[in-house]
Amino acid sequence: MESLEALVAHIQGLSGSPEEVAHLHSLLKQADGDSLRAHAAALVPFLAYLSPETHSLGYLYLLEACATSGSNLSEFGGGDFLVTIAGFLTACSADQIRLAPDKFLNVCRVLKDQVMQLNMPIRGIAPLRAAVRKIQSSPEQLTPVHADYLLLCLLAKQYMAGLSILEDDIFEVDQPKDLFLYCYYGGMIYIGLKKFPKALELLHNAVTAPMSMLNAIAVEAYKKYVLVSLIVNGQVPSFPKYTSVSAQRSMKNHAQIYVELSTSYSNGRYTDLETFVQANSATFQSDNNLGLVKQVLSSMYKRNIQRLTQTYLTLSLEDIARSVQLETPRDAEMHVLRMIEDGEIHATINQKDGMVSFHEDPEQYKSVEMVEHIDSSIQRLTALSKKLASIDENMSCDPAYLMKTGRDRGRFDGRFDYDDYDSVPHKFF
Amino acid sequence: MDLSAVQAALSDKSYSALAPLCDELLLQAASKGATTDEWPYSVHLLAHLYVNDLNSARFFWKSLPQEVKETRPELAAVWRIGQCLWNRDYAGVNTAAQGFEWGPDLAEFITAFLESYRQRIFKLLTSAYSTISVADVAHFMGMSEEDATNYAVQYGWSLDAATRMLTVKKLKAQTNQKLDASKLQRLTECVFHLEH
Repeated sequence: MESLEALVAHIQGLSGSPEEVAHLHSLLKQADGDSLRAHAAALVPFLAYLSPETHSLGYLYLLEACATSGSNLSEFGGGDFLVTIAGFLTACSADQIRLAPDKFLNVCRVLKDQVMQLNMPIRGIAPLRAAVRKIQSSPEQLTPVHADYLLLCLLAKQYMAGLSILEDDIFEVDQPKDLFLYCYYGGMIYIGLKKFPKALELLHNAVTAPMSMLNAIAVEAYKKYVLVSLIVNGQVPSFPKYTSVSAQRSMKNHAQIYVELSTSYSNGRYTDLETFVQANSATFQSDNNLGLVKQVLSSMYKRNIQRLTQTYLTLSLEDIARSVQLETPRDAEMHVLRMIEDGEIHATINQKDGMVSFHEDPEQYKSVEMVEHIDSSIQRLTALSKKLASIDENMSCDPAYLMKTGRDRGRFDGRFDYDDYDSVPHKFF
Repeated sequence: MDLSAVQAALSDKSYSALAPLCDELLLQAASKGATTDEWPYSVHLLAHLYVNDLNSARFFWKSLPQEVKETRPELAAVWRIGQCLWNRDYAGVNTAAQGFEWGPDLAEFITAFLESYRQRIFKLLTSAYSTISVADVAHFMGMSEEDATNYAVQYGWSLDAATRMLTVKKLKAQTNQKLDASKLQRLTECVFHLEH
């Protein structure tokens, strides 16, 4: 193995053009391994000679050797080493580090483990956010860093920071575990921000994702899925057809108490639900879902008042209070005021007569803003359906798929008919 | 730690931009491992309340170490405002804001916050009520009954002195209904896509 100085000289010299970098890459791969890690402590001062932007690949190899060498990071100057990693992740060149993605992922993992050990998750947020963008080949790709990033945001209570990553639509997934964790943590971030419909989407994906066997992440996601469904829709839908067989069969068994909660909710009586929640609060607490369960409880008032709008045009505050099981008409007034503020109801309160008049949604969908909104939705849908068409076409060209369908058809006919060629996509001609 | 951007925003009175600015600066400072003793906590918290982002305000408060919460009375006072907003104690917000001796950096910010809060509450009352008692308006707006009545009358509300009731004047909703030709192009593309 070459000496460290020679290696560093190579890195400095060969980081100019893409061909030089490719050459450097092969040199680094030769030098890599346990022998490099053994010299980990000696590597750190050399890092000062390299620049993270121009010498990203070489820097990455050395950094990864130090980080995964297994020795205590405090030997490298503890907190300072974290700053070095953070600086690298923010400044590195995306093209260079994509040549060695596994090493990059290792460095990110080490950063996340360290900040969690130091109990300062906020330190890892800005670097990991930069790292996600660097290693993604497109904004539609899911990487293992996504889940780690969202976890740090949750622990540090920086929910808004998590939002920037969640707003990208994901189309490519390599590892199923990444998807489950991404959907679960993402759902929790949206719950924290009270964006319940978006949380429902992500949790739904976690619950209905393909799985040969039930996994713990999906079960926890299902528990939250039930609660958020109740808050948003007042009921829990049954599993769609594309849910995996193992989920359909055994998911509910692991979340029995949540199923009972949803049954109690559908009966519509606040006091019954309250009793049920109090009786089982210990279980909910140990699942870390007690806060969400309480939100389900308070959504009951809202839902019952909304139900009233379907029957009445005007109603007195007293009647509202009585029907929804609130204490006083003043309570009912404050509830209605709150719902008007949140846009959950269209009504006007008449204090002189103590009455509330319910209205229709005044939106007439004629304004320019509404047209813009519909327009952008249509554009998004058009893009999505084009994407779906191209995925479908790619899949029908996939050799494994063709073999399976070809084989099945062969079993019926015994020989190929010329008609069969029509279904093969024109790509082959 | 470079807080000049925060100071600039404060003196510019661009209060709505403060919250994302403070958030980003905090993340950057944390990644460099800087200590956060001189962090403008009160300004940061009030910035979230100004844009009515109660979730971020709550999480910010929760993430602070106990020691910081206890040794900064101004910060605790800002949090009391936040608690009133969270509990929809509309009147309590005014008492909490007006009942504290604010330092020079915060005083102007608090005044701006109260002004924007008052406008928001008035808008809510206009849309939610057809008639409302003078006492309630005064209660929600944090003004005396006289001031509240004058404020309301300014906006076209009418007072029934006998029953001490104000009748609300609803605002006519402004809707823009002009469309331009580019929409036609968009529509054509959409139909083309559906046909194929």
